[in-house]
Amino acid sequence: MNRKPTTASSSNSLPTDNSKNNGDEKDKGDQMFECNICLDTAKDAVISMCGHLFCWPCLHQWLETRPNKKLCPVCKSGISKEKVIPLYGRGSTNQEDPRNKVPPRPSGQRAEAETGSGFGGFGFGDGSFQVSIGIGAFPFNLLVSAFNFTSHNPSDNQVENDRGPVISKIFLFLAFALVFWMIFGL
Amino acid sequence: MASPSPSERRLQKELSSLMKDPPPGVSVDANAVYQHLNLWNVHMKGADGTLYQGEDFQLQFRFSSKYPFDSPEVTFVGDNIPIHPHVYSNGHICLSILTDDWSPALSVQSVCLSIISMLSSCKEKASTLSIEKH
Ligand SMILES: [Zn+2]
Ligand SMILES: [Zn+2]
Repeated sequence: MNRKPTTASSSNSLPTDNSKNNGDEKDKGDQMFECNICLDTAKDAVISMCGHLFCWPCLHQWLETRPNKKLCPVCKSGISKEKVIPLYGRGSTNQEDPRNKVPPRPSGQRAEAETGSGFGGFGFGDGSFQVSIGIGAFPFNLLVSAFNFTSHNPSDNQVENDRGPVISKIFLFLAFALVFWMIFGL
Repeated sequence: MASPSPSERRLQKELSSLMKDPPPGVSVDANAVYQHLNLWNVHMKGADGTLYQGEDFQLQFRFSSKYPFDSPEVTFVGDNIPIHPHVYSNGHICLSILTDDWSPALSVQSVCLSIISMLSSCKEKASTLSIEKH
């Protein structure tokens, strides 16, 4: 992208602050180490498994921006905090993993909503599930309440954990079959 | 000048790179951009050999302070809005990289290239019939 015809600038002998403002006077060699997000020379550099270079603060902010869709900005392959490699140059005295640093802009702690609590209640021991079966089919009502009884027995925890999912799956299947029958059988 | 914010720094870099190496038919009024770094007006010529040959368009880029993490808002403005299935008559452009597929590695330059190729691949000038907002 940054294919610029840079002429070797002779005035670069002084390593002053100059280099900050005219960033386009940089050598091609420097550009190879530019962060793909801020386009500056990567600071606290990390590299992804797909080989793309970023500042850790830049990449971190991007991962926070799209927490459900963590893709490499350049090539869209999957990317995560655990799968990037920090780069330590010879000059870097501070060999701290950049990922351990507090990101410069902690953009408010997001409470994770993806714990799946909305779905977990569906499986077993759940009121709404049993009621919906109980209305339609008389015999099911009895079966379900029997199951309900065992699962509330505190000494039976292991059994419940083993059998619970299987039983609830059977009931779920029966419920679907029933609904199917009610819709198409009449 | 106060030290620029990260998004301003990046926009300055993009501006100088766009001026050095613009995509064919694309130009930007740098002086106007320096006044308002978060609002760019980009001129675009319809590419030769396409349905839009000889036409001139104007694109407006609006950048939030979270750019490049947020996508820019890009619309056609002015009195010549291209007639294209993915361009609404108010200038709104339906292009996935401007919404869901945005990535901070994209740039004004790559957005311009995508819009050029979107226009160039059009075989028949037709406007959007069904209004299906993404
Ligand atoms: Zn960066
Ligand atoms: Zn990549």
